[in-house]
Amino acid sequence: MISRRTLLKSGASAVATSLAAPAIAQASRKISFLTWNIIDQETMIRGWIARFCKDRPGVEVEWLDKKGPEIPVFYQTQLVAGTPPDVINTQGALGLEYAAQGALLDLTPRLKAEAAVATRFNADYLSNWAYEGSNYMLPFYITKTLLFFNKPMLEKAGLSGPPQSFDQLLEAAQKMTSGEASGFLTLNFDWLYWPLYAMNGVELLSKDLSKPTFNTATAMAITDRLAKATEAGAINKISWTGRWVEPNGAFAAGNVGMLHAHSPAYFFVKGQGKWVSPETLGVAHAPGGFATPNSHGLGISKASKNPDLAWDFLKFVTNEGAQELGVNRKLVTGNIAVDTANLSALEKNDPLVYSILKTQLEHTDKMVGNWRLGNDSKIKEAFWPELQNALLGRKDAKAALADAERKVTRELKRA
Amino acid sequence: MAGADKAIAAGAMPLTGWWQRKRTRDLMLVVCFLLPSLTIFFLYRVLPLAWNGLLSLQYWSPLKPARWAGLDHYEEMLLYDDVFWQALTNTLIFIAVSPLAIALALGIALLVNGNLKGAAIYRSIVFLSYPLMTVAVGVIWRWMYDERGGIINFALRESGLIGKPIPFLQSFEWALPSVIAAEIWQVLGFYMIIILTGLQSIPPHLYEAASIDGAPRWAQFGRITLPLLRPSLFLCAVVGILNSFTSFDLVYIMTNGGPGHATELLITYIYKSGFGQTKFDYAAALTVVQFMLLLALTYLANLLAGGNAGALQRR
Repeated sequence: MISRRTLLKSGASAVATSLAAPAIAQASRKISFLTWNIIDQETMIRGWIARFCKDRPGVEVEWLDKKGPEIPVFYQTQLVAGTPPDVINTQGALGLEYAAQGALLDLTPRLKAEAAVATRFNADYLSNWAYEGSNYMLPFYITKTLLFFNKPMLEKAGLSGPPQSFDQLLEAAQKMTSGEASGFLTLNFDWLYWPLYAMNGVELLSKDLSKPTFNTATAMAITDRLAKATEAGAINKISWTGRWVEPNGAFAAGNVGMLHAHSPAYFFVKGQGKWVSPETLGVAHAPGGFATPNSHGLGISKASKNPDLAWDFLKFVTNEGAQELGVNRKLVTGNIAVDTANLSALEKNDPLVYSILKTQLEHTDKMVGNWRLGNDSKIKEAFWPELQNALLGRKDAKAALADAERKVTRELKRA
Repeated sequence: MAGADKAIAAGAMPLTGWWQRKRTRDLMLVVCFLLPSLTIFFLYRVLPLAWNGLLSLQYWSPLKPARWAGLDHYEEMLLYDDVFWQALTNTLIFIAVSPLAIALALGIALLVNGNLKGAAIYRSIVFLSYPLMTVAVGVIWRWMYDERGGIINFALRESGLIGKPIPFLQSFEWALPSVIAAEIWQVLGFYMIIILTGLQSIPPHLYEAASIDGAPRWAQFGRITLPLLRPSLFLCAVVGILNSFTSFDLVYIMTNGGPGHATELLITYIYKSGFGQTKFDYAAALTVVQFMLLLALTYLANLLAGGNAGALQRR
């Protein structure tokens, strides 16, 4: 029969062993890598991980991929649990929100210590994730808005080229409108429509981001004109009601003259629109060269147990990995050397994609709608529904902008 | 032990300690049986509810220490948040539509309860929608409503009823009725089966007696069918109310609350506030309001059912 003493000893040793297990696991240096809806790139990512781990014995990288709507839910629950993924991929301003919450590691000291890493990237894109003077993410793959146009429709309307001003844009849209055909469509999520206001000199917030500055006579006039053009059918209503599938699908159907969208829209449109070819699809900057970025960045969770290893992985992915990513997915990464090499190859192999991606690296000093806010989604939620009401004619522009101003002010104060 | 119990029962042994009392030991036995369920109920119902109530009175985000907010979130919600009122109104509309769905189901149940040829097939067809996953229902209806390739727009245009396609789910006017139609379609089969079961449990001799007495069909319906269907209709109403509060998946798939917040329900707004905008504290306050509303409606439903729903029938 086992004595009480023996039983207690065995129990104590079992507890000690189980407590030691996590420590042993930690010693193996493992990091996790959370990506945003790129499960189709599994082979490439597993290849990155294999190459990264090959030179680092005892290192393990766990890869997780989640769809867009799942990422915030997943990441926040992991934050609460104290087990966030070490390296995280986010889109748009989400990285800034996580930075403001204190979830992300400040990369500024590392970028200062390794100047060669910082200078790899297009400085305007790198600064997209700067919050209160510190940088929290590196560019993974970058996008900003541009103007796609249906060349046959443009020609049929007697237009010689894409519009160069807001007035010309509305005029061109009106000329291309007939029957079921409409002249202009824009994506609206994540401030992607903001260039329409920026090209008219309207600013959403003051420079110090402390108060709204959009409730002006100019903004009212612009909103009113957009609403009237929408009512007349020159601007497709889906611009203000759809998200991704609906507007891109409508343009792909071939009876919309211009689409204001970010570069990934091309692949959707090409996939659905049989009419799309270098002869029929034109590409230009929005008037004034204004564009809203909607890029993907990579950051490190502050709670990472292996931040140095995560930083190494970040550098690896945004350099060695970027080359492969750019080629596979036909995109630009923000890494200057990689993008230069990839674009050079694309210019010969796929001139249309080349012309689209080239716009992503031009006028990067005119990126708008990317305020460095720690509560971007709340400001967006306060502003957009009111503007939407005005654009769809449910409220007059004056009342809508006044209501939006009241709500944005309140949200800024609550922050 | 059995001997001791008998002795106590016979009054041969005095009742000394509290533990030795039969009533105490019976009570402990009951507690032991109930404990697992009570523990789960406490951990997964009471504790989260209490924590949620507390959270609604704090400023809280995952990585920052909580601060006392008092009723600030409630003030924000009730006085400044238009979306809350829109979501509440939509939720109440969803609830208010339940009687319509029940009335439709009653009509169909009456039809397939008769001597209709092929009634069993019709019953199966109507019921088929219910076991479908709500996500699948959402996707199917989204395509059916599609402006360009949807069958509904195609049918309406082909029949000459409309000239231009209707953007059902992108229109502020059409989005909510469109989602409600899909919701009704899905739950109709369930209501029909419940009502059909109720109809078939009504003794036929009541109708025979009424017929002999010369009561017209509408009087038979009003005086026999409806009163005897009351439990079935009550069950449908309760399920309808609960469905209205938990229609998250259908709305999320079909419209995600849009356009604007035209189809926003309290449940979708809670989700968006918590996980979309990291306002877990505010989402907690919204949840408290939803809970109170549900509580009030349940109380009302109980009153309408005679005030003793769920009570034990003692003989």
